[in-house]
Amino acid sequence: MRTELLRRFLTDRWSVVALAFLLAMLLSSLLNGSLTGFEATATSSDTLIGPSPVHWLGSDELGRDSASRLMFGARSSLLVAAGSALAAALVGVPLGVLAGYFGRAVDAIAMRIIDVILAVPTVLVALVFIAALGPSTTNMIIAIASASAPQFARLARAGTLEIRERDFVLAERAMGAGHLTIMVRVVLPNILAPLIVQFVVTAAGAIVVAAGLSFLGLGIPPPEPTWGGMLQQAKAYMYQSPWYGIFPGVVLTLTVIALDRIGASLRRAMGSTQDLGRASASAPGRGAT
Amino acid sequence: MQRIGDQIAEIITLHGGTRSEAQRRAVDLLDMVGVPQPATRARQFPHQFSGGMCQRAMIAMAMANRPQLLIADEPTTAVDVSVQAQLFDLLRTAKQDTGAAVLLITHDMGVVAENADRVCVMYAGRVVESGPVDDVFTQPAHPYTRALLNCVPRLDRDVDGALAAIPGGPPDPMAERRGCAFAPRCPQRQGRELCGSEIPVLLGMPTSPGKPQRTAACHFSTEPPVSMEPDEGAAPSRAGEVPPDDEPLLEVTQLVKRFAIRKGVLSRTVGEVHAVDDISFTIRRGETLGLVGESGCGKSTTSRLLLRLVEPTSGDIRIGSVEVATAGRRSLTAVRQRVQMVFQDPLASLNPRWSVGENAAEPLRLRGDVSRSERMARVHELFERVGLLPAHSGRLPHEFSGGQRQRVAIARALITDPELVLLDEPVSALDVSVQAQVLNLLADLKRERQLSYLFVSHDLSVVRHISDRVAVMYLGKIVEIGPKRTMFTAPRHPYTRALLASVPVPETGRARTGAPLQGEVPSPTDPPTGCRFRTRCPRAEDVCAEVEPPLNDVGGTAVACHFPVLEPWDQTIAGADRTGDTTMPSDANVMTTGGPRHAH
Amino acid sequence: MRAYVIRRLGQFIPVLLLATIIVWAMLFALPGSPAQVLAGEDATPEQIAAIEARYGLDQPVWLQYLTWLGHLFQGDWGTSLVNGHAVAQLIGDRLPATAQLAVLAMALTLVIAVPLGIAVGLHPRSWYGRLTNGFLATGLAAPTFWIGLLLILLLSVKLNWLPAASRFVPFWESPVGALRHTILPALAIALHASTVTARFVASSLSEVMHRDFIRTARAKGASEGTVLRRHALRNALVPTITVVGLQLGSLLGGAVVTEVVFAYPGLGRLLFTAIDGRDFSLIQGSVLVVIAIFIVLNLLVDVLYAFLDPRIRFD
Repeated sequence: MRTELLRRFLTDRWSVVALAFLLAMLLSSLLNGSLTGFEATATSSDTLIGPSPVHWLGSDELGRDSASRLMFGARSSLLVAAGSALAAALVGVPLGVLAGYFGRAVDAIAMRIIDVILAVPTVLVALVFIAALGPSTTNMIIAIASASAPQFARLARAGTLEIRERDFVLAERAMGAGHLTIMVRVVLPNILAPLIVQFVVTAAGAIVVAAGLSFLGLGIPPPEPTWGGMLQQAKAYMYQSPWYGIFPGVVLTLTVIALDRIGASLRRAMGSTQDLGRASASAPGRGAT
Repeated sequence: MQRIGDQIAEIITLHGGTRSEAQRRAVDLLDMVGVPQPATRARQFPHQFSGGMCQRAMIAMAMANRPQLLIADEPTTAVDVSVQAQLFDLLRTAKQDTGAAVLLITHDMGVVAENADRVCVMYAGRVVESGPVDDVFTQPAHPYTRALLNCVPRLDRDVDGALAAIPGGPPDPMAERRGCAFAPRCPQRQGRELCGSEIPVLLGMPTSPGKPQRTAACHFSTEPPVSMEPDEGAAPSRAGEVPPDDEPLLEVTQLVKRFAIRKGVLSRTVGEVHAVDDISFTIRRGETLGLVGESGCGKSTTSRLLLRLVEPTSGDIRIGSVEVATAGRRSLTAVRQRVQMVFQDPLASLNPRWSVGENAAEPLRLRGDVSRSERMARVHELFERVGLLPAHSGRLPHEFSGGQRQRVAIARALITDPELVLLDEPVSALDVSVQAQVLNLLADLKRERQLSYLFVSHDLSVVRHISDRVAVMYLGKIVEIGPKRTMFTAPRHPYTRALLASVPVPETGRARTGAPLQGEVPSPTDPPTGCRFRTRCPRAEDVCAEVEPPLNDVGGTAVACHFPVLEPWDQTIAGADRTGDTTMPSDANVMTTGGPRHAH
Repeated sequence: MRAYVIRRLGQFIPVLLLATIIVWAMLFALPGSPAQVLAGEDATPEQIAAIEARYGLDQPVWLQYLTWLGHLFQGDWGTSLVNGHAVAQLIGDRLPATAQLAVLAMALTLVIAVPLGIAVGLHPRSWYGRLTNGFLATGLAAPTFWIGLLLILLLSVKLNWLPAASRFVPFWESPVGALRHTILPALAIALHASTVTARFVASSLSEVMHRDFIRTARAKGASEGTVLRRHALRNALVPTITVVGLQLGSLLGGAVVTEVVFAYPGLGRLLFTAIDGRDFSLIQGSVLVVIAIFIVLNLLVDVLYAFLDPRIRFD
């Protein structure tokens, strides 16, 4: 089944492009300056110029090369993205499965907490966390993960609730399986599909939130270049160099589009295999094959 | 999202009626199709209607503009047999009133026999036979029609030995085809080349003058029919041939299950669903007990209670020496190795992410004491026995057909060598031709391994074929239980008789009388006092409302009725207890498919 | 239906209380004693002691919480460190501004999202469907504040049509002025929010179009337009309303960053200033208001949805 999934994913040209783009970005972020000839933190006297043969994407107020800074900034963005999504999943999924499987009291309590967090958009939750903990990469990951875990919990719970009633789970119980076995071996593998998609979606959102926090000055502290931080500076120099504000945003947007595309493609690829499992089952009654 | 009345009215206004006119007519139509309190009901929403009533509303919608042609596509697949009888009555009346022609699409041969004037048999996208229903049923010209009529279990007589199942499965619609599509399964073919190279043309056949034309698409339709060989690998068997042991394997005593209904702000329990209300029965070693009833009678809940997948409210369930209702974890696990279950929908009961081999081996894996290689060996052994290729055990469930998936489920149920197998509607989701194969397999397995079965089904013909004893349930109670023979030749309970009379039999020439069972099943949250069937019983008297009838032995069968029927039963008269007028058949075309649904 | 509403209300109160507990407990997560945090970084020991007395911070934890809750109900939400005004008043001043922004953004979202969503939902493979899809993907990915920045660059810096920094001009004072100052931030928010909504409309619609009752409607002889209007949209839009309602809540969140971009004097900007200046009482107050608004909106949306779905209404 995995090869089938891969094949279906690969048929979507754009998501392959997206994947390539992300890999290229990752790669370039690790090469500090080799591509552009400038280091991300090297200052110069060519301040606030637009795109030129020397500085491909222009330079900032300290003469640093924007292109290099953008590439370097990818590091923290991708790290925060992957880290938050992973942390959110590791916390949210077990919670959701437990709530959905056992129901009643466990469900009620877990859902109330989740409702509170879900009631507030990610940015604010993250803001509150950062305000309390102070800005740093780790804190940012914790903050965003806390805001995103409820989504995973909700999805896991919904999936568990639906799977729980299906005959093959009942059959497992009829064969004498215990609760833990059922949750891990039967329920979890069957609810993976939306969770994987959510992972990608969370990662995409994390990049935007992280940029937003950096923009507000609450992100990763300087001198580490971040996309959001660059945009913050760009706003101050809006009238002098409009280019300063355009490129970081473009890179941000492209990265998020790429992640979104991959997520949509995954959803499509996995949705079809799930549908196969449901196609005949939804044609009930006598006479259907 | 839309009110019923509005939906019916819409079809009128779409074709040029005024709004108020349409609304009035909608209420009239609802009345005509037998919906009680039509004016109130018209303001309700679909979720407030039962399945049968929804179908009536659909019929009302279809008849609203007095059509000339009414197309009914499997109109009764999702409803109970008693409601089905009512709905066909209704269709008959509607047809008469409007003079409409009816195109009835169905897979049920009984329905065809009772309702149609002409029949068209389809296979793999082509018409293979057509003609007046009498002729086609008594002297089918196409081998497929013949096979179809022969492989169905009968309500009116016992089929000795195995069912004459059609080997193989329905054709793949996407496969390339040369020649006749039925050729791979056809007994008439006898290896002849022509069937595999040329597609037979639908040709007219000689009929008596004045009768509608008969056609058949077979190269050899004029030859004397070659009968189907019994299923390969299955020696002729008799269900019930093995005399059951005297000692009961399963003993159920006064089993009760009530579900609480919670409503309101604080989830207060406002009522209870009496799903299973004080039933008792036994199953002996080597015996098949058929459990029949309509939806909501509690038969599925009963089977789940036996494995304690649902907690009983009270009562005893004794399997061997273990008391299931109160068993501790270890005893319960041990019991679950001796008793296994096969579910209705094979696709839903197999884990879609595991291969069929893994699915089948799961009970052994859970037991923990069998190594992987041993498990695989066992799986291969069982796969061969149930008619699957062991080489395919690595494939996923969705790659198999319904019949094959059910075989996997059966293999899974047998892998721990159980003594009792609970089968919950195991063939209801299968095509008619595949159904026979699976039934034969079950009968063979039972004989070979001395299994006992609890066979839950709503399909009385199937139950007749496979059971030794039969229990009839209504609203959570067993109303009649006894040997199969007596049940079907001399049923004593009025409900049993009405049920039998409602089932359409695939034989033409019977008088079409009105539906024997009117009204709908009362709500299980508020069952009638005394005898639960009394609200629909033609023999009910005052005592029936006051005193609940106990199960009394009447000539070898236990019946729960104050006035059991002692007259014999003859299915061919289609029920002497029925009331209702005989309707004269008017012109109706009927199309039947025994094949897969995508064939039409 | 009534039972459903009462039950939701019953859920709403504990959630609200839980929120207040979390907001209040934040105090302890910060470095320094609660009193120090509340008094600010440059506070003198006397000021700290005064704060301690006022809020009873020497008492057991649960009593502190209740005291604080009590103060809340009396309208004493603390004092801002930055300018000494009462927090409650500061918040009260800013609330109408944010509300106006939210309403305008919401209206724009609907106007943009619904037609786009229908286009994509019905004809995803047509040229305009694909184009719209591409636009939606971009709008979804681009951060709101960056869109705001771009809008400023284009409409204020380059073309000088609209002001770059917005003031709050109440609608009732000057509609045109209000529009001038609010349209840019509202547009920035709406461009993002409408992509989410449009996607939802599209998927909801295409899911509905495949259901059996649509087939029935066509079989009845209805024209495609009627099928769309009378049957499909009604079913597809109901869940959309809930999404839109939830967006309203999300608007207030995205508004934080957008308000900062445009220097719009709303609740979001207030919160940001508070965080920047470590003005804890203000942070507490603003966060609480925002959370409360979300929870209330969630409740309203749920009730609205229940009202529109006859299965829940008539049960």
